[in-house]
Amino acid sequence: MDDYKFLFKVVLVGNAGVGKTCLVRRFTQGLFPPGQGATIGVDFMIKTVDVDNEKVKVMGPLTTHFHTLTLVLQLQIWDTAGQERFRSITQSYYRSAHALILVYDISCQPTFDCLPDWLREIEEYASSKVLRVLVGNKIDREDREIPTHVGEEFAERHNMYFLETSAKEAENVERLFMQIAEDLMKQARSRDLPRYDASATSINGRTSTVSDSSCCSKFQ
Amino acid sequence: MSLDKLKFESMQRDIQNELLKLKEEEESLFQDMNNMLNQKLFLDTKIKGLAKLVPTLKVVKHEAQDLVSTINDISESSEKISGKIRSLDAARSRVSECQHRVSDLIDLEICSQGVQTAILESDYEKGAAHVHRFLSIDQSLLQRTATDVENVSGMLKSVRTLQDAASQLQAIVEHKFNEAVKNEDLVSVERFFKIFPLLGMHEEGIKELCTYLRTKVAATAEKNLKSAITTPLSDKRYSVIYADTLTLLFEGLARVVDTHQPLIETYYGPGRLLCAINILQKECDIQMKRVLTEWTRARQINKKIQLITELSRMSSSSSFGKLEKTDPKDLDILIGEITLMHFRTELYIRFIQRKVVSDLEVGVQDQDEKGKVLKSLENLIKNSDLTHSKHELLLHYLRLEQYFMEESVAKAVSMDCIEPSQQTSSMVDDTFFIVKKCIRRSISTGSLDGICAIINNACRVLENDFCDVLRARLRQGYPSGYLDLTQAYNVLQSSIQQGRLQASDTEQTRTAFLVALNNADSSTEYVDALCDSVLKEIEQALPTMNSNEKGKLESCLSGLSSVTTNLKEIIEHGIQQLRVSAIKPRINPWVDNFTSNNHQLTEDELSTYEAGESFVQTLIMNLETLLSLFKDVLTTANYDAFVSVLTTEVTQRLEKVIMKSTFNRLGGLVLDKEVRSLAGYITAATSWSVRDKFARLTQIATVLNLEQVSEFYDYWGDHDGALTWRLTPSEVRTVMGLRCTCNELIRRSDFKVEDIKRLKL
Repeated sequence: MDDYKFLFKVVLVGNAGVGKTCLVRRFTQGLFPPGQGATIGVDFMIKTVDVDNEKVKVMGPLTTHFHTLTLVLQLQIWDTAGQERFRSITQSYYRSAHALILVYDISCQPTFDCLPDWLREIEEYASSKVLRVLVGNKIDREDREIPTHVGEEFAERHNMYFLETSAKEAENVERLFMQIAEDLMKQARSRDLPRYDASATSINGRTSTVSDSSCCSKFQ
Repeated sequence: MSLDKLKFESMQRDIQNELLKLKEEEESLFQDMNNMLNQKLFLDTKIKGLAKLVPTLKVVKHEAQDLVSTINDISESSEKISGKIRSLDAARSRVSECQHRVSDLIDLEICSQGVQTAILESDYEKGAAHVHRFLSIDQSLLQRTATDVENVSGMLKSVRTLQDAASQLQAIVEHKFNEAVKNEDLVSVERFFKIFPLLGMHEEGIKELCTYLRTKVAATAEKNLKSAITTPLSDKRYSVIYADTLTLLFEGLARVVDTHQPLIETYYGPGRLLCAINILQKECDIQMKRVLTEWTRARQINKKIQLITELSRMSSSSSFGKLEKTDPKDLDILIGEITLMHFRTELYIRFIQRKVVSDLEVGVQDQDEKGKVLKSLENLIKNSDLTHSKHELLLHYLRLEQYFMEESVAKAVSMDCIEPSQQTSSMVDDTFFIVKKCIRRSISTGSLDGICAIINNACRVLENDFCDVLRARLRQGYPSGYLDLTQAYNVLQSSIQQGRLQASDTEQTRTAFLVALNNADSSTEYVDALCDSVLKEIEQALPTMNSNEKGKLESCLSGLSSVTTNLKEIIEHGIQQLRVSAIKPRINPWVDNFTSNNHQLTEDELSTYEAGESFVQTLIMNLETLLSLFKDVLTTANYDAFVSVLTTEVTQRLEKVIMKSTFNRLGGLVLDKEVRSLAGYITAATSWSVRDKFARLTQIATVLNLEQVSEFYDYWGDHDGALTWRLTPSEVRTVMGLRCTCNELIRRSDFKVEDIKRLKL
């Protein structure tokens, strides 16, 4: 029985052809499909991520005991089409996103130049609390056009995380998503997260039990 | 002496026992021996029987050896026979091959003779049949035959004749076909179309036919588009005329495919439909684009989209009003047309897919090959202008629909009005009507991505625009201050005197507050109902969703249903405000009256108290008045929440004042009765159980109503009669302390401090 189930929505955005779908495929299926066609509309994938189970002090009516919580963390990954004509569809997913990954291609200057436009869109449609990550993909390519420090500076200026990846060589892909998962968990623990999907909460062991039993705890 | 005797007696007993045992043993041994004797006879006969069998065994062994050698012989000879059969088989197949070659040669001869005459007589079918026979002969085999046979020159001549005839026929048929096309001679077109495959010109045949069909489709489309452009405004199909044009185009193409597919399958074999569709699709793309271009121009799509974009930018920078807003109603019809156009396109694409796939099922057996063809079909559709145009339509649709939804909801909110007899105001019904309409319209596009986008958008509009309004109204608060019946009467009186019958400002604010609260409550029901009905409708409209698509939809829908979380927070906020301004200030003085009563009663005082108006009667009457003010104006759920908060307040306050009073036995008795009747009253006033909220109060009354301290054990502990206590042991002691009165006059059997201290809890 899962005591706690967390569900986070992660949305990938960025120009067409920067490798969003490949990043998702690499992470969810461990594949790098060559000749990947353009995404139509939005694709949707779920990946369950392992998290350390934690011991939580539970104050029962008569005794206090330690209960090991089973944590299940699901990343719901929304892979959006980069092409302009799908913008109305993709924009509608920003609002409920917990994390947004903005991807560019390090070997293609125009994809980097478009970043401010993307940020404007994010500002307009996404929640202000959304976790934002900038990703420079395709570091396996020889013909780099955007040096790492330029990406880094951009991310810093706009208060984003930064990471360079290669979906082809599986570099930093796992790290990217796991980092996001960890950060979102941290946020959720501090209850900073916009509430979402209340159906998947726990049966017992919630922190609220502590306050529920306060009147009875005097029996000890 | 007696000791010896005793010893002797015991020894005697032992010996007798031993003797008995020995006797028993003897008997059992005897029995065993008897059994063995019996068996001996039986065993003897067995041994005799076996001795007789020994010589027979020798015979059996001998015969078995004979049998083995016989079998070996048989297997050897069968090997020899099967070898002979194998060589016979080979000989036979050679003979049949030879026969085949001979018949090929004979046919070759006949064909070469017949083909020329057929051409001369313009009997192209016959000529083509000869060529077809010639082509079906294995050419390399023919070459080998030529080297084997002596009469070479004759055969080579025939081959050459036929090859010449084939190319001659190919030229003729192509020419004749084109001529037939030029003359619009449908019969000849079909006639020569059937000859192409006989000459091994499958691809050419399909190409020629489809090119011809393209021109036909183009002509019809041209005509339809022209008539669409010239359709007068007064025509009743005017508003959807471009959708109609598109429908005509698709239906025309579908008819072409439907009528020619059997022809292609019969004469060219199955599995060739994709080739034909490939060519027809080019025309479809061209015509689709033309219709869309005309439509964009006629309906001023770009202008409208631009306006909407500017408006949304303006509103976000909050400088309203400079641009004339488009009335969402004006867009309604246009949005309807787009959904229709999109849906038709979607249907046509599904039609093509179905046709090609079923053709493939019959024609191509190899799985790899099938996968390859399916991939190329997918690419054909994905890269076609048709699909691009479809996406463009969806883009326009989403833009317009989003604007429509936002503006209509804003309008519904601004035109909100409260009907005197209604618990909710018009904005709830209106808003959910609009949202439902938009989602349903998105379902009619047939695109899951479109549906999901609109659901996401509905979620945003409800959570932001709609909930914000409710939140803002509740934030204005519920005006406190007295509103008894007398006061209400006075307000009404003065209103009538001043000639205005509308309620006072505070009254209006109150009503607005309560209506907003009710709106939030009924919205939660609307949201749930909306999610249910939408899911059902989508499942009906898109029955072939795969699990991934279903997951996508469910995720979007769960976003929509979580709007209720927001609404519940709003309701909670509102109820808390009522608690602070409507419940607390009124209830406290009523309950505080408890302290002005004496709770250390004599028998006489008790009967006087019970004869008069008791504390609880007054309290219930007051509560009744208060509740009646809210009962009809709040929705059932809100009223229940209101009563729940009221109950909490009353019980907590009462507990507080009880703790400030002192009791004797009769006072406790009265309290117990009063708590019961109060709980009874509130239970009757609402639909849920209030027992839990009264638990502490009832238990306090039980403690105060005890005859003596020790009686408490009847209720405490692990036995059957015990209660689940909501009071802690120290609280129990404190409550008991209320019975330790110092009033000498009426003290009878009251609790002693030492007894309470001694109590083991």
